[in-house]
Amino acid sequence: MPQTSAGTIPLRQFGRSDAKISILGFGGHHLGEAPDAKTAVEIVHQAVDGGITFFDNCWEYRRGKTEVWMGAGLKGRRDKVFLMTKACPHGRDGSLALLMLEESLRRLQTDHLDLWQVHGMVFDNDPDLFIRKGGAAEALAKAKQDGKVRFVGFTGHQYPHVHLGMLNTGFPFDSVQMPLNPFDATFTRSFEREVLPELTKRGIAALGMKPLSGKGAAIKNGVITAEESLRYAMSLPGVTTTITGMDSLEVLQQNLQIAQNFTPMSEQEMSALRERVRPSAADGRYELYKLSLQFDNPEARLAHGFPLDTQQSEVRDMMGTAENTGHPWPERQF
Amino acid sequence: MAQQQPDQSQQVPEGQVPTKPLGRTGVQVSAMGLGGYHIGSAETDQAAIDIVAKAYDHGVRFFDNAWEYHDGLSEERIGKALKGKRDGTFVMTKVCTHGRDKQVAMRMLEESLRRLQTDHLDLWQVHEVVYENDPDLIFAPNGVAEALTAAKQQGKVRFIGFTGHKNPEIHLRMLAHNFPFDTVQMPLNCCDATFRSFETQVLPEATRKGIAALGMKSLGGSGELIRHGVVTPEQGLRYAMSLPVATTISGVDTMEVLDQNLKVAINFQPLAANEMQSLRDQCRFLASDGRYELFKMTTKYDGKVGREQHRFPTVQELPI
Repeated sequence: MPQTSAGTIPLRQFGRSDAKISILGFGGHHLGEAPDAKTAVEIVHQAVDGGITFFDNCWEYRRGKTEVWMGAGLKGRRDKVFLMTKACPHGRDGSLALLMLEESLRRLQTDHLDLWQVHGMVFDNDPDLFIRKGGAAEALAKAKQDGKVRFVGFTGHQYPHVHLGMLNTGFPFDSVQMPLNPFDATFTRSFEREVLPELTKRGIAALGMKPLSGKGAAIKNGVITAEESLRYAMSLPGVTTTITGMDSLEVLQQNLQIAQNFTPMSEQEMSALRERVRPSAADGRYELYKLSLQFDNPEARLAHGFPLDTQQSEVRDMMGTAENTGHPWPERQF
Repeated sequence: MAQQQPDQSQQVPEGQVPTKPLGRTGVQVSAMGLGGYHIGSAETDQAAIDIVAKAYDHGVRFFDNAWEYHDGLSEERIGKALKGKRDGTFVMTKVCTHGRDKQVAMRMLEESLRRLQTDHLDLWQVHEVVYENDPDLIFAPNGVAEALTAAKQQGKVRFIGFTGHKNPEIHLRMLAHNFPFDTVQMPLNCCDATFRSFETQVLPEATRKGIAALGMKSLGGSGELIRHGVVTPEQGLRYAMSLPVATTISGVDTMEVLDQNLKVAINFQPLAANEMQSLRDQCRFLASDGRYELFKMTTKYDGKVGREQHRFPTVQELPI
């Protein structure tokens, strides 16, 4: 297998805590797109060697496959990293979230998480459902109290106003995850403009995601380069880490080089980049996660009564479970 | 539980669908309009023609359409069905520039007139104003707004307006241009009332400006509110028709649905304020995440031409 650059990546303070995390975060979802478990484990090993300390995951990604693969990759390396995964109650009870936590810990082969977040707060009533009696807020508090997780937070990719609604529940979040990229910056609904300053004010760790605006269409279309996108996201004042997916050693290497040699963009460069992409940012064509359900996994849709998309890989994985292989996904590595 | 299927036990009653004033235009339109999209979904041309004939017989005079519906089939069917009935009907269609310029709009107008077999439209609206930058594109120099003005001056259209199903804020940005729109079309239903609401944000503004409001998606866009038993057809339609609107446009692709709608429209009595409130309350929980208003929450109702012009994935690639 090709060898990526070993080295270090700058660290930043995680909110007001004394924990520090790498400015580049390893996105869990894309790990499931590696061709096999062996490759996935190798990608994780080389990511750790390259200086990434922040690892993202989620209970519902690829029916557990990404947590299992990441757990295998982090075996013997757990102490070197800051491990996050997400629970997927999507408005359902906190007790369900706690069951998911146990499953995540088992798959990740660890007895605790550094960060546990509520996944996919995208619907207008999610804040109410989260904070209600018996809701997921109680699960986050309990898991923290029991020492199973060090920090708690939430994520979402659609609407800044839903993020603000979550913050306004008054729950003591340690982190908030959101899309941050040059397209978001000038679109009518901007996490950079509406949510990021609020987090800085409250001392909550801001975790950026979708730096390449989701599936990289803007890069394929030549609107922006991967380096420009990543550097923009990592340069935003107040952002702690930037989570991006890496499904191959080539992509990992590209990201490591940017992060290991990171120098922040000047405000002038950032402003020029925002202006350059403004025309194609204006209708959201490169932020489909804000305008469609393409990035909403089946758990979120089912819990909220939205239709599934049978072409979505997550849904195909679900259908695959009907094959009764005894494994939660079609391959048989574990 | 609410009724799941159209009630076929009764005949359509005697009488006609009532009329209402179209804003400040001095024109009266039928309180129920026939949706153009679904006419193109009817099984055959003859089935569509029969639906139009029966609707007409019971007083439906407002006919909705769009240049892009079923690649022109919807306009062609309405053209055939209204042959000999054009006088006294109110024919609307929509222009589908989706950001392109005035010349494209004027070409579409000629095509629409030809397909609809008429020399003028009663109403011509800018279709599907749903992308965040649409207001800017519509009012750009040489944009479609100029085409609306020109067509009105040339006498090819009597009235002009715009439509959209996505975001009340986009409608408000359109209205803020103080362009002399005669009409504005929007989703109005008992879920909308408590969720990203056109009823509470746009309808009062249109009324204040004297612009006629046209309601659509009264039953959730594809009858989801009925099929899932949230409300009965009568509750859903009466709610929408009781709002301060000129007409409620409802899509019909079968005789059963037409009969269901005509029963409500012919016997229409506005709901009392407390009845309206109790329907809003009944729907509030299911309204609160938008599951019955997919047109606001997903790309499901965003058409092919708009997606092409905005470089969005196709319907096949991004169904919702």
